[in-house]
Amino acid sequence: MNKSDEDIIKEYIGGDENSFKSLVDKYTSSIYNYSVRFVGVDYAKDIVQDVFIKAWKNIKKFDNDKASFKTWLFTIASNTITDYLRKKKMVQFSSFDKEEESFESSIPDEVILPDEALIKLEDKELLNNTLDKIPANYREVLVLYYQEEMTFNEIGKLLNKPLNTVKSHHHRALIMLREILS
Amino acid sequence: MEQNLQKLFKASLYQPEGRLSGDVWVAIESKSAQITKWKTFGYLGLSVLSLSGSIFSIKSLIEQAIRLGFFDYLSLTFSDSGSLATYWKEYTLSLADSLPVASFVLSFFLLFILFISIRNTSQQFKSKLLIA
Repeated sequence: MNKSDEDIIKEYIGGDENSFKSLVDKYTSSIYNYSVRFVGVDYAKDIVQDVFIKAWKNIKKFDNDKASFKTWLFTIASNTITDYLRKKKMVQFSSFDKEEESFESSIPDEVILPDEALIKLEDKELLNNTLDKIPANYREVLVLYYQEEMTFNEIGKLLNKPLNTVKSHHHRALIMLREILS
Repeated sequence: MEQNLQKLFKASLYQPEGRLSGDVWVAIESKSAQITKWKTFGYLGLSVLSLSGSIFSIKSLIEQAIRLGFFDYLSLTFSDSGSLATYWKEYTLSLADSLPVASFVLSFFLLFILFISIRNTSQQFKSKLLIA
């Protein structure tokens, strides 16, 4: 039977030093792919190392009641990536943050991104290039929602943003995808 | 649309180098060894400092106790138990009065620090051996 992340953490805190390695093995690929979407292949490895070292140092502060280990780990990843992008002055945030309330929530997502657009995105390179053109704060919602299959609630906890803001970012990100593809 | 986008994102995932998780673990172990090394040096330094401090403070405690007549009062306990039973209140007050409290507290505190730092140094050595 597979142990839950929380059980593995309990074992680690209980003195089994090697149990943390199973968490590293389990999440390396996810954190790597999440990082690649923001910093590219060349720097993703460094980010992955930083994220796990931070998680290892702070594992005793992890509180299962507040969020799952995956959400907690991705929060560390998100903060590490933001710090990295700020240092490199690579970060591009959208200016829509102040107008959250006026987003076009009435338009269904299916209408925003029709099948023709999805067909275009089957080209892996085109998808990656298109994502690169979307501001980081919108892109992270898309990546967490579609790549990591997190719920909007989990993403809200992870990014420390209200649910409506997350949904708004998701909606706007889809609109941007469509605009870029057309 | 949602499921299609999920499929597209999954299909465009990058494959990290096979040994990336191994490298991450090596980095964690090396960080752990580094922290253990610094902690060992820190506690070892604290042991040496508290040991030398303890020696001086115990020496000063003994000198002050002699000067204040603490040992003279203490020797009465073994020599004149009859008078002690009668004047035990006065005796206790005199004994307490002759005790150099500040030096006593300082010596006790330094010995406590010495004990903690020796215990932590040995723990750091143990974890160092485990890492090795």
